Amino acid sequence: MERFVSDPLTVAPPAAGFAWSAAELIVYGVDHLGPSYEVRVFLDAPAADAVTPLELEAGYAGCFTVFGHGGCFGDDDHCDPGDRFSDEYDVRLPHQSLPQSKVVDVTAALRAATGDAVTVTLVAVEPDESGGPRPSDAFEADEIRLVTYAGAGDVDASGA
Amino acid sequence: MAATSALATTRIRFRRDAARLTEGQAKDVRGAYAGMIGLRESDERSYARFASLHGLPLPIECQHDSPLFLPWHRAFLFFFERAMRDRVLDATLPWWNWATPPGQIGSIPAAFADEQAAGAANPLFSAKVSERALANGEEVGLPAPGPSTFRRAGIGGRRLPRAQEVADLVEISDYPTFQRRLEELHGQVHVWTGGHMGQVPWAGFDPVFWAHHAMVDRLWRLWQIRHNAPGPPPELWGQALPPFPMTVARTLDVTLLGYDYASSTSSTPVS
Repeated sequence: MERFVSDPLTVAPPAAGFAWSAAELIVYGVDHLGPSYEVRVFLDAPAADAVTPLELEAGYAGCFTVFGHGGCFGDDDHCDPGDRFSDEYDVRLPHQSLPQSKVVDVTAALRAATGDAVTVTLVAVEPDESGGPRPSDAFEADEIRLVTYAGAGDVDASGA
Repeated sequence: MAATSALATTRIRFRRDAARLTEGQAKDVRGAYAGMIGLRESDERSYARFASLHGLPLPIECQHDSPLFLPWHRAFLFFFERAMRDRVLDATLPWWNWATPPGQIGSIPAAFADEQAAGAANPLFSAKVSERALANGEEVGLPAPGPSTFRRAGIGGRRLPRAQEVADLVEISDYPTFQRRLEELHGQVHVWTGGHMGQVPWAGFDPVFWAHHAMVDRLWRLWQIRHNAPGPPPELWGQALPPFPMTVARTLDVTLLGYDYASSTSSTPVS
């Protein structure tokens, strides 16, 4: 898919008197068997696309890169992890084609967002021959999760 | 940093910044690459054979998005560098410092970017993709970007990692987070370089691949020094790193592999 816009994801406020220390967006089940591409992450910017500036003011939160395999170079089912029998005696390394998980530090963008929920927009791009980014349809994933973390003593300076 | 390893009296060798090689050092690197490139691809000492371990022809052996990412590539570079030194004894792998200072756009070091060197074709600029890899791509309808490697550096609005990003990376104390973010920067550099470097099956054929991964390996080494820790958890230390005769444990200390990283080196006899 070229773009994905999530439903609003709840950002639970930290406990009274504390602030969260970091925030990450985890993208599960990322396909990496096709061409290489980059996925740009925007918060509360549902109209973001391949030419949206990569600036905090535009909702840009970060990106992740997929260093792709460029397709399957084997015979039938070569890239299907389910084609492999595995049990507790299997000492082979994990199947190369298993989907990946990607993590993007979205702390700054989430701090800049307002409200108790945010939309997440994912924009997949690849290089254009003309030199600019163009939409890529290579991106596939299963799920996204927004995670906030609290340190041991991240007291909110505002006292809120 | 160390002058010898803890277990051997043999001097360790230094991998140097590709942008700061003396002409003699650059000549050694070119000579080692050229020697490996000149070997038949069926010869296990050849450049094509090493490049193929990371990509085509199948099997693709490299480890990505895995806790073995750093150990596997350290082993890979170790055996590649040994093969280099079989051709030119004093050659060591240079590292490409892609951490870009403020105000700069970053680039591939001249040692790898110049088409010509010392009046001849530069073997660090481009290399042929192996015939067997090309055939593997053709047989499944996914041909190589070209029969010889090329780059499309910086197109697509991409950028190289900022120096501050890299400095911050080494400060991360949690190893899994460090490794994950280092692999992300590694992927960005592959895709920034473009061409053959931009896809797993073909990347190893580009001569700059090895300098890129030497930088990745160097950052792991810097992290180890900064945090006085090896990184991978003990549960992984007994894991083999096929096809190399090496375990994760064997990769944890570069001085026990006989090398370390320097910005530059200069020496003179004492007499």
